[in-house]
Amino acid sequence: MLKLLIVDDEPFIRMLLQQTLEELEDEDVEILEASNGEEAVEVILEERPNLVFLDVMMPKMNGFEVCKKIKKENNLQDIYIILLTAKGQEFDKLRGLECGADIYMTKPFNPDEILEKAREILELN
Amino acid sequence: MSNINFERLVSKKQMYGYIKSVLKLNDNVAAVYSINGQVLIGEELLSPSECIEIIINNKVVGYIKGYKNCKEIAEIINYTFEKELTNKALAQETLEKYRETAILYDITEKLSTRLDSKEVVSLIIKEIKRLIKADHVTVMFYDEEVGILKSDNLSFNLGEGLAGSVAQSGKAEIINDVIKDTRYIIGDYYIYSMICAPLMIKDKLIGVLSASVEKPYNYTANDLKILSTLAFQASIAVENARLFEGLEEAFLAMVCSLSETIEKRDIYTGGHTKRVMTYSMAIGEVLEISENDMERLRLGAILHDIGKIGVRDDVLLKESKLTDDEYEKIKMHTVFGHEIISHIKYLSNIVPAVRNHHERYDGRGYPDKIEKENIDIIARIIAVADTYDAMTSDRPYRKGLSHDIAMEELKRNAGMQFDEKVVKAFEDAFILRKIL
Repeated sequence: MLKLLIVDDEPFIRMLLQQTLEELEDEDVEILEASNGEEAVEVILEERPNLVFLDVMMPKMNGFEVCKKIKKENNLQDIYIILLTAKGQEFDKLRGLECGADIYMTKPFNPDEILEKAREILELN
Repeated sequence: MSNINFERLVSKKQMYGYIKSVLKLNDNVAAVYSINGQVLIGEELLSPSECIEIIINNKVVGYIKGYKNCKEIAEIINYTFEKELTNKALAQETLEKYRETAILYDITEKLSTRLDSKEVVSLIIKEIKRLIKADHVTVMFYDEEVGILKSDNLSFNLGEGLAGSVAQSGKAEIINDVIKDTRYIIGDYYIYSMICAPLMIKDKLIGVLSASVEKPYNYTANDLKILSTLAFQASIAVENARLFEGLEEAFLAMVCSLSETIEKRDIYTGGHTKRVMTYSMAIGEVLEISENDMERLRLGAILHDIGKIGVRDDVLLKESKLTDDEYEKIKMHTVFGHEIISHIKYLSNIVPAVRNHHERYDGRGYPDKIEKENIDIIARIIAVADTYDAMTSDRPYRKGLSHDIAMEELKRNAGMQFDEKVVKAFEDAFILRKIL
């Protein structure tokens, strides 16, 4: 069973991502959600999702920190992490690379691109 | 709404938890059942006395069965689901907007780097086909002078046909079921519906953008919105591209004018420039130099002797052999030429052609005494072409040498005065009939 985690502090964004990726549920993918950094780490450690969409701007623990923490764990190295960052914000690409994220995408996102990328990474083409 | 969706909706963590709480409040004497009679949430009940339908969007999707309060529970659940569905519908709307926004960002980026109007047009057509239902997409340009809208194989007067009409009014339109519209003029192919938007810059009409379908389909306001937005982007991009092409044309015309000034002073130099350009381009082709270098070579050849304007008539047009002193003055044409074109930033990359076309491969040339590959390739090429033409053309004091003798001279000096590879390429150019 494939697992996908959506992490964003805004419930509406979580809903949009959920809606975008909904059709994958028919293809045996479980979609999980987390609303902050700490919860995300918990869920990742427990559920070991294959792919994580991770918002950068979150209070208390941001996306970079979550990513760094996860990538430090030996058995979680191959969880694919996509950072979501607001368009227009100076995205610190260096920081993104440093924390070990795999790629980043901007918000507002193109739903088609999100779905395509998810399919690609979960090998569901 | 199908059964599967209801079951999925109900099994979502929050919804499930919420319904479970509601059922618990009712002491679990009622439960949620699927259409097939399976318990979805709550505990299986023996012979429930009540059975109320759960209706969403006028369809029965499940049941509340139990001993009491089933009607009230059903109402709560109906309300909750309606809310959930509204949320999902809103989310879909938003995603649609996100999609459009992403596409617009995307196309703005793509268009901003295009300066070729043909490329802009084909990119616009491609993007429209991707975003709206369309079997045909046409871009027509407005020729102000004759008042006609033109594309590759169509033309309309302003006001003629649907496109002409939109062009005239300046207002985008949806024309569904075109046959019913009196303005429609039947074209090469049959169409059912069409949307059309004008391409405008400020208030000036520059063309018309239209999309059409062959099979029955009614374009929506949303489709028109997308087309209009793309039309706006397209107008800017096309205008940019055309201004740029116009600039390039004007610039080239200026360069040719500049070159012509020499021809007017000295007939020999004029014809010479044209021939050197022909020979140089042929060499460039054989050597397969880059497109960029070919362009530099062309402009460089046209302007290589521009500095001669700074050489006095009595020296430049002297019919007998030159004295050493006079020779030194002629040599200055390389430096003068550089000074003349130094005012034009756009020509900075052809300076070697003008300044260094008299350098020698062995470093014993002028004015800079640079050698071998330190001499820009365009200068090395023009050097060969230039010398060849000087040898083969008639002068007041001697007749021109034959092709064979001139070639021999070039080969004799290959490696010393000239780059061997360039001389060889020149020879090949004749053999390959690149020069006739």
